[in-house]
Amino acid sequence: MSQIENNKTIFSLLEVTTSIQKTINERYKSFFWVKAEMNKLNLYKQSGHCYPELVEKKNGKVVAQVKAVLWKDDFNRINNNFKHTLKESLKDGIKILFQARITFDPAHGLSLWITDIDPSYTLGDLEREKQETINRLKEEGIFYRNKTLKLPLLPQRIAIISVETSKGYADFIRVIDTNSWNYKFFYHLFPSLLQGDKVVQSISEQLKKIKSVRHHFDVVAIIRGGGGDVGLSCYNDYKLAKEIALFPMPVITGIGHATNETVTEMISFSNAITPTKLAEYLLQTFHNFSVPVQEAEKKLIDKSRRLLSEESTKFQSEVKLFRSMTENILSSNRNDLKSTTRSLLQHAQYLFKNEKEYLRSARVNIIRGTNTICNIAKQEIQNFAKAVRKDSYSQLNKFNLIVFQLREKLISRSGMQLKNSSLELNNIEKNIANMSPANVLKRGYSITRLNGRLVTSLSQVKSDDVIETTISEGNIISIVKSTNKTTDQ
Amino acid sequence: MSDVNYTEAFEELQRIVSEIEQGEISVDELSEKVKRAALLIKICKSKLATTEEDVNKILKELDNVSIDPNED
Repeated sequence: MSQIENNKTIFSLLEVTTSIQKTINERYKSFFWVKAEMNKLNLYKQSGHCYPELVEKKNGKVVAQVKAVLWKDDFNRINNNFKHTLKESLKDGIKILFQARITFDPAHGLSLWITDIDPSYTLGDLEREKQETINRLKEEGIFYRNKTLKLPLLPQRIAIISVETSKGYADFIRVIDTNSWNYKFFYHLFPSLLQGDKVVQSISEQLKKIKSVRHHFDVVAIIRGGGGDVGLSCYNDYKLAKEIALFPMPVITGIGHATNETVTEMISFSNAITPTKLAEYLLQTFHNFSVPVQEAEKKLIDKSRRLLSEESTKFQSEVKLFRSMTENILSSNRNDLKSTTRSLLQHAQYLFKNEKEYLRSARVNIIRGTNTICNIAKQEIQNFAKAVRKDSYSQLNKFNLIVFQLREKLISRSGMQLKNSSLELNNIEKNIANMSPANVLKRGYSITRLNGRLVTSLSQVKSDDVIETTISEGNIISIVKSTNKTTDQ
Repeated sequence: MSDVNYTEAFEELQRIVSEIEQGEISVDELSEKVKRAALLIKICKSKLATTEEDVNKILKELDNVSIDPNED
């Protein structure tokens, strides 16, 4: 009870709070539905009870704020509902529609005792917020902006926005640092809060830094992991999403949660469910480069070999074709030649046979003709001979007659001639007898010889030569005394 | 090695491979193309395994930026 001291009525604190408790308990007897923003859930893991911070904001300013309690059993039931409906747990920074009763505890003060929370309200609210962000970005034409950027063939240099001590960061760099293909990455960490109210501001600052050194990097990776599904609604924030959409480099995200994609992830160049998957995505881009290079190497070798072998085969078949064609041509020519020879031979034989036949018949004709001609000639000759004989007889008779007449004439004439000649001969005989040496010698002429030779010249005879002088009665042998030449008279 | 950067090297390599696959390369050109491709493959492979960035340079540039608050 109150005391009175120096005209002042004084209550103990407990008396005051107990009074408030009494008043409130009398005034607020029933449960009612309230909508508010749950700034913090404040789950105490040991007890399992929650002490959410509830606020109402107007134009960004807190205009109402109340503590609340959510007992373990209620929390578990409600949380299960949330997981079922929203695919995520109760968390900080969501709008909720809850059933509560105002309670007042003398020791802990005023609070709302929450007995139920409607998940569909929260869902709708978050979805609406998210949808608004999406719509605005689309209206401004920047929703797909980051996706239209070109990622280098090898996104080798990575500006990482993450928390150095986070599991997600560790997972990410482990995968890219220890890849078994020896792909080499360069990365630099730009540390940032990734959870809670300050996420948007913190990430924005780091993006600004990265922008100033962007020529050193190929890609920005926002990596969060190990934080569970709590506090993701900041990634649906319009300001943050816009900044990422307009960022001049590809931004990739590995935020690591199991629920619906946030707007940040939607508008990022590429999104992976976890940091590990994001690292694998980068490795994949390397594969996409490396594999074709390896294939190119293999293909080049294969194709070159094949090309060479094809050329060789082609060449060989050309040679084979050439040979077979030549052989064909030769053989066909040979055949032509053979058949020509044969036909020539046949033709020649035929011609010969014809000619022979012709000759034979010609010979027969000639013989026959000659015989005929001979017979005719013989006949003619015989006729001629007959005629000649006939003529000769008559001629001979003529000649005989002439000869006879001539003999007669000759006989008569020669008788006269003989008489004349005999007469003449007697005269000549008389003359010749007068001229004989005996007659001459008788007439006194002699013949002188020296050594048997007639002496006709004085010069043949010299003195003492023995000369023989013949006269009609005989010979005188004399010796020459001298000679003298008869002088002309 | 060559003035060709890896992106160009990659593209040129793809071109050569596609040429050879389409049978556009004659035996006469083959040797030259294969030589070129070997160089390009070397460039590409070397890029996969190396990077030339320097952290200190980036940190220095970042310091300069923070001195000038007007810079965007």
